[in-house]
Amino acid sequence: MGRLLVLFVALGLVSAGCKRSSEEQGAAGRTRIVFKFQPLWGDPAPFRELLAGYSRANPDVELVTEALPNSSDLAHQFFLTSLQGKATDFDVLVADVVWVPEFARAGWVADLSEDFPPARLREEFLPGPVDSVVVEGRTYAVPWYVDVGVLYYRTDLVPRAPRTYEELRRFTRDAMAKAPGIQGYVWQGRQYEGLTCNVYEAIWGHGGQSLGEDGRVLLETEPAREALAYLHGLIADGLSPQTVTGFGEEEARRVFQEGRAVFMRNWPYAWSEAQAEGSPIRGKVGIAPLPTKDGQPGWGTLGGWQLAVNAHVSPARRKAAARLIAHLTSPEANRVLALHYARNPPRLALYDDPELRRAEPFIASLKEALARARPRPVTPYYLLIADVLQSEFSAAVSGIRSPEVSLTRAQKQVDHLTGTTVEDAQ
Amino acid sequence: MPAVLVLAVVALYPVLAAIWLSLHRFILVFGERRFTGLANYVYLVGDARFWSALGNTAYFTAVAVTVELLLAVPLALLLNRAFPGRGLLRASVLVPWAIPTVVSARLWAWMFNPDYGLINRLLGGAEINWLGAPGYALHAAILVDVWKTTPFVALLVLAGLQGIPEDLYKAARVDGASTWRQFRAITLPLLKPALLLAVLFRSLDAFRVFDAIYVLTEGGPANTTETLSIYAYKTLMRSGDFGYGSALSVATFLCVVLLAVVWLKWLGREEGRR
Repeated sequence: MGRLLVLFVALGLVSAGCKRSSEEQGAAGRTRIVFKFQPLWGDPAPFRELLAGYSRANPDVELVTEALPNSSDLAHQFFLTSLQGKATDFDVLVADVVWVPEFARAGWVADLSEDFPPARLREEFLPGPVDSVVVEGRTYAVPWYVDVGVLYYRTDLVPRAPRTYEELRRFTRDAMAKAPGIQGYVWQGRQYEGLTCNVYEAIWGHGGQSLGEDGRVLLETEPAREALAYLHGLIADGLSPQTVTGFGEEEARRVFQEGRAVFMRNWPYAWSEAQAEGSPIRGKVGIAPLPTKDGQPGWGTLGGWQLAVNAHVSPARRKAAARLIAHLTSPEANRVLALHYARNPPRLALYDDPELRRAEPFIASLKEALARARPRPVTPYYLLIADVLQSEFSAAVSGIRSPEVSLTRAQKQVDHLTGTTVEDAQ
Repeated sequence: MPAVLVLAVVALYPVLAAIWLSLHRFILVFGERRFTGLANYVYLVGDARFWSALGNTAYFTAVAVTVELLLAVPLALLLNRAFPGRGLLRASVLVPWAIPTVVSARLWAWMFNPDYGLINRLLGGAEINWLGAPGYALHAAILVDVWKTTPFVALLVLAGLQGIPEDLYKAARVDGASTWRQFRAITLPLLKPALLLAVLFRSLDAFRVFDAIYVLTEGGPANTTETLSIYAYKTLMRSGDFGYGSALSVATFLCVVLLAVVWLKWLGREEGRR
């Protein structure tokens, strides 16, 4: 009966696909493959040209692109229902960095180890993204572009980028005394995935790890307690504005961009806006790895998107799909994405690419931060626990519950979701 | 007979399916599915997040419906009077109700923005963190709901007002009763069934609130605006945990049924008294 219900849920999404999958053979006996992705912001011409390059090299394949909603949540919901329903109406899909282990364990994305051996990925790509696509020694996706959390600072207000949390607090206090009316450190404190990224960065900065030895998601730890206390303390001490608990990326960027904050934690995209013509803080912005407790460069959260192949499609389509992935993740494609769409390349070699260094010196400067980027807990259960993390972290950061209580509650719910409690009960 | 069949398929099947699912550990992503009996409900009873969602939902419903009623009665009395342009005014108060909730919630989210929102500016440059501070966010959501549904409640009350025979007022005026006295002795008692009906409609509706709050805060900060529907939705659709999500849906369903039974009993008693 339950299976029927799931079927109903998926039916609406899949029915369109069923009709189309009978036309698997495209015009004139060509294999038809569908690439499902979120449109990139910016001039569509360079990307169209990139896709045309694939079509020219593969005349036996008819390539179709279909748009996904830009919201990661909605895109995930789409894949959840359609892949569960064994949809075959798309071949190549983009996966957020936390989805790959989940989809791999469910058997929804194809094993690509033959075309992209893990060892080769490790040689050519940044370590963080590779960790997020290699599950139990097999490759299930290829990194397409990457993102990392970094610290922005005002070069006219602070002597240099802070290395420790203590320095961050001191520099903020001094700058706020020097420039009355300015806000201190802005970051993402709203209850959503961005908050989880901020909290994990603080946990790593306090010496914590995301997973225990046995792969269990660890939350009731001393570094996690310190991290939450540190973030709440920023607000309680007035070093971060009260309103930060309602901030996403854009809210933080707007405040910083208008010159109303000393420090900001954000993704690299905020850089080009800050340095754009007419920006009030143009030429007064520095970018650095996040601070840590003991002063070593911090670990930013890894973000970004990967390309995977729908496991339900025929072998012929799977082959054509793997070729499309190879084309879209080639060094040449990395360069197009970096130059025209400011998407950071996952390939190491690109950071020494002379053309890129000349055109986008900023991207090259991110190499160190990207090399130290860490994924959120790599577990097939991530999407199940994300919601729990968001709410409990939010409670601790906004001071509704103490870090201890939040973490205990979070640990209990996470253990329930990952099956620890149910198994124990039996 | 076919009608019963259609009803059974459309209304009964999903409810039974949800109850059946709630007795399983069923994680969509893993294809993991096994019967666990009442384990989900045992967990639910000890789940602090469930109780806080239930509390938020009850608070939201009670406050929103009360305020809506208090505002709707004067509004209805006003609309019931004869004055030029009454038809236009009657139509225009319904505008907030006609706007899709998602659209109006988006609109309000901008107005609530602490940095450049209209609300803080109207309050003389106050720096209230409407959607980010625990004490404020749920009240902001209530405000949006009140703005949206007061016209609807007013319309229900207006229908009730028009059912009161004019003769009663004439007689009262002959007896020299003041306007307030007329309101207390005639309008309010005769309006009671309409008011109770409005409360029934609105509280059942408010108890299932989802869209406005989801757009405004997604249940944050710290789940202080998370209602039962939002918790169930997140568990079912975002996490793909169909077992526990179904248990939450069943719990919501039971609450709504309970509420409906209580109100209908009361309504029935009032009707019986007349």
